[in-house]
Amino acid sequence: MSISVLVADDSKLSRRSVIRSLPEELEYEITEATNGREAIEHLKANSFNLLLLDLTMPEVDGVGVLEYLHAHQDPLNVIVISADFQPEKQKIVMSLGAKRFLRKPLDKEELAMVLFELGYL
Amino acid sequence: MSTVFPLDEEQRDALQELLNISMGQAANSLAQLIETKIDISIPKISAVTPTQLYSLLFETDNAFYTRQSFLGDVHGEVMSVLSRNGLTEVASLMDYDEPLSKEDIQEIILELCNILAGACLAGLSEQLELSTNLNMPTLFQPDKDNFDELQWQHSLVMEVQFAVTVSSFSMRVVFCLDDASLKRMKNTLDELLE
Repeated sequence: MSISVLVADDSKLSRRSVIRSLPEELEYEITEATNGREAIEHLKANSFNLLLLDLTMPEVDGVGVLEYLHAHQDPLNVIVISADFQPEKQKIVMSLGAKRFLRKPLDKEELAMVLFELGYL
Repeated sequence: MSTVFPLDEEQRDALQELLNISMGQAANSLAQLIETKIDISIPKISAVTPTQLYSLLFETDNAFYTRQSFLGDVHGEVMSVLSRNGLTEVASLMDYDEPLSKEDIQEIILELCNILAGACLAGLSEQLELSTNLNMPTLFQPDKDNFDELQWQHSLVMEVQFAVTVSSFSMRVVFCLDDASLKRMKNTLDELLE
């Protein structure tokens, strides 16, 4: 069985890095969004098992995407992966329902551990 | 603003992301020091001539300016523009007492440059696996005539902006690279993108 994952990040390098960091034990159906607006469009049109979300994006940022999910009471598992890891920011995203906050550059083992804790592995 | 742009789209995207990660690390260092939130902009990358660089940096009188060179695998110069507005509030968060003396102000400016510009360069160098050494910042007053004599004839400018949420203080950091360093950086970016 494969996991449908939405990867939202404006940087192609980062999307690539996130996708490469996903544990090989699982199969994935990956959808990519290059900003928050695109991510919300994908969320409206499709159902996902997991959202890997950057915060600093043009048009609509990651907090905007979390606010959308929060307003729609969407229980989707969200892992925020961001370079902006100040305590205040972490507090905001966790209060909006994100399951975990991971720092960029992404540590492959840390991501695997989080996926294990969330029951994917 | 841009002249012939020296990076292709993928290289530019990659550099912007690496800079974004470095800014996050820099902002976190300052946020921990002054225990307040720092807003960071999406980094801008452009290629400019000295005249364009002057306009980009020195559009206001209401600011302090610093410059510091860096050497190593890549070399260039970091210029920072710190707003005069809000500096007193930041100084208070850094435990300085009012009124601020001239020496206090100079110390605060140089400390902010070391934290933000220094951490940005260190983060960028680390991710690109390049070795760089940043010299101490010095305060300077920009002069348009001297600017045309700078070695950055077609510099790659990487511009980032930090703002302290509880005050009107903001700081812009601009990295200028020479041609040889730009070439080295492009090669490293290509390796990362392979």
